[in-house]
Amino acid sequence: MKREILSVNSLSFEYTKDKEIFSNISFSLNEGEILGILGPSGIGKSSLLRLIVGLERPKTGKIFYFGSVLSSTNIFVPPNKRGIGLVVQEKVLFPHLTALENVKFGLKGSNKDKNAKALSYLKLLKAEQFASSYPNSLSGGQQQRVAIARAIAPGPDLVLLDEPFSSLDKDLREELRKESKELFKKTNTSSILVTHELDEAKEMCDKIIELNEGKVNYLTI
Amino acid sequence: MVIKSYLLDFFWKSIPLIFLFLFLMPLIFILLSLFGEFGDNWNHLINYVLPNYILNSIYLIIGVSLLSLVLGVGTAWCITNYDFSFKSWLEWAVILPLAVPPYILAYTFTGLFDSYGSANELIRTIFNLENNYIFFPNVRNIYGAIIVFSFTLYPYVYLTTRMALLNQSRNLIEAGKLLGLSNRSLFFKLAIPLVRPAIIAGLALVIMETLSDFGAVEHFAVQTLATGIFRTWFGMYDLNTAMQLSSMLLIFVTFFLFLERYERNKMSYSYSGSTFKKTNQIKLRGIKNFFIFLFCFLPLFVGFILPIIELTNWAIFYPSENFFSKNILISFFNTIFLGIIASIFCTFFALYINFLKRFDRGYLLKFTSQFLSLGYALPGLVLAVGIIEFFSFLDKNFLNYFLNVILIGSILGLILAYIIKSFALANNTIESGYIRLSNSLDDVSVTLRKSKLEIFFKIHIPLMKTSILTSLILVVSEIIKELPATLILRPFNFDTLAVTTYIYAAEEKMYEAASPAMLIVLIGLVPIFFLSRIIRDSRPGAK
Repeated sequence: MKREILSVNSLSFEYTKDKEIFSNISFSLNEGEILGILGPSGIGKSSLLRLIVGLERPKTGKIFYFGSVLSSTNIFVPPNKRGIGLVVQEKVLFPHLTALENVKFGLKGSNKDKNAKALSYLKLLKAEQFASSYPNSLSGGQQQRVAIARAIAPGPDLVLLDEPFSSLDKDLREELRKESKELFKKTNTSSILVTHELDEAKEMCDKIIELNEGKVNYLTI
Repeated sequence: MVIKSYLLDFFWKSIPLIFLFLFLMPLIFILLSLFGEFGDNWNHLINYVLPNYILNSIYLIIGVSLLSLVLGVGTAWCITNYDFSFKSWLEWAVILPLAVPPYILAYTFTGLFDSYGSANELIRTIFNLENNYIFFPNVRNIYGAIIVFSFTLYPYVYLTTRMALLNQSRNLIEAGKLLGLSNRSLFFKLAIPLVRPAIIAGLALVIMETLSDFGAVEHFAVQTLATGIFRTWFGMYDLNTAMQLSSMLLIFVTFFLFLERYERNKMSYSYSGSTFKKTNQIKLRGIKNFFIFLFCFLPLFVGFILPIIELTNWAIFYPSENFFSKNILISFFNTIFLGIIASIFCTFFALYINFLKRFDRGYLLKFTSQFLSLGYALPGLVLAVGIIEFFSFLDKNFLNYFLNVILIGSILGLILAYIIKSFALANNTIESGYIRLSNSLDDVSVTLRKSKLEIFFKIHIPLMKTSILTSLILVVSEIIKELPATLILRPFNFDTLAVTTYIYAAEEKMYEAASPAMLIVLIGLVPIFFLSRIIRDSRPGAK
């Protein structure tokens, strides 16, 4: 039986005192699983990812990672100590670094090892041919390939994907979705995909939850 | 562990508060002087000269405001609405007078228009007149001062008005025409009221600069609050009365500072958002073309070309003190040395505070940064007097007592004054650089296990290189022009270019003053280059 990697218990969040985004949300994720989070715009899907990765603090509730508390009302592990990867919708490669240097950015070890590892991840995402290119010379799809390689290269157990394919055209979106799923399965990396497309979630995820009016509904695939 | 982290966080965030404390202390000491004893010198001032100081300051403000209004709004209107000869060149060239500090224009004006000045000599030679014939009237009076301030400071009004006019949609003007307004009515009843906040904001800057100036009014023997402060301190050595006078100037300036901020906030109502249509320019020909060109060229000629010609003439044809003389070189290196130290501090402090603001949503840092940016409006003399009192308090009560160190007369006061006056420049540059950096870069970096310090050095610094360099250059070029605070706070026998120019001009050695003055103007051109780029980029729809 697969062990539980992430558990979100009765989580509530608000940006300002009078503006609650969601309340009392609970769900869990097992090792190697891909979880889809669906819901209309503004419902708090991205905020939920930001809470898990540690970019925001919850109002109430707890987030457990491998059984240890990451966030609660009195415990907070900073994001750089959590080891959770993040890929966002915007193209946020570091513009002053090449594709290879972007992937190397989160790696530790000797320069030679970092180069080899970064290049291997670029290969897995069919992006090795533009390893020495700067982001401004890459297309949207190529940039997202590098961004995904950068997120998984440090070997996180969990990668959060915040609508990473939404700015790409249909064919490229399907291709990248398929390749990413293969990569996550191959590396046994758990992931959470935020999307507002049911088809995308069905194709890529093992289980799907829907956020609606602050509640969580499990959908059958 | 958690407590240690909170303490560390508190420590980093408290550093801007220490700077805020250093910023506020000179002002607090100045304002506290109002609650202290008013001595004999104060009574003397009240009975004999203070009314004169105040009246002269008010006359100066009124005269400079009116002339700057005509020059600034007029040039902005013509350049925005008409297509005439050399317009694309004049569009940025009319801001060149900003590179000439008022005191340098004042020195060149006396050199030009005095009885035996170049202009009168030229007229006498051309028309073969007698040696004692004087064509141009004496400029060493309040009227001369009004002309000098107006022709060097009108670009502030031009810049704010031009920005507002550029953002004014053609739809509004067309609506006015459909309602039957004549061209004159369109100008006075529609276009100008719409850009009124921008005009007032520009005028407030002109007034603050006029009130703060010391060099030009001193040279023209016009007694204002600023010359009063200087004389009370340097002539009577009465720091308390100088501080009490400074409080008055500070209150005057604060009023105009708030007026400028208030009007700047209202400036957005002249913008028309998504319905924007670029103003149609009217092509001018013949006599109209000539007069509009002349109108826009005149302030540039008087405020920039004329002083440059005269300074070049003095520096090249009467080189009693050339660019490479020991005296000028020492002043130059002193100025650059101070400029670099202050600009490095301002830039890195601006980087630091904006970096903290990026990760902190609280209001304290935001408020601190905004408050510190108000330093640009403080008159140099007021700041200098406040720093002297603050440092003397520290010397007496702590430093001399415990460490046997004295701050007064050291370079530190000067650097503190420069930092307080120039922080706004650095902060605005770095802040706009940071706005262009997506927050997602930071979010992704922390998930790649990078600390805030690593993000700062590996992401922010490389991506902010241009902003950092711009900030360093802008601050240096601003500091080079500073005269009143430098004059009071400089260590003994430590001259800067501005001080050297002032001393020569005060001794009527205009030829000797030319080389340092030229250097100040040339370095002052650097920020103008950046400003002209901003003007070009500010056009809605500009590429």
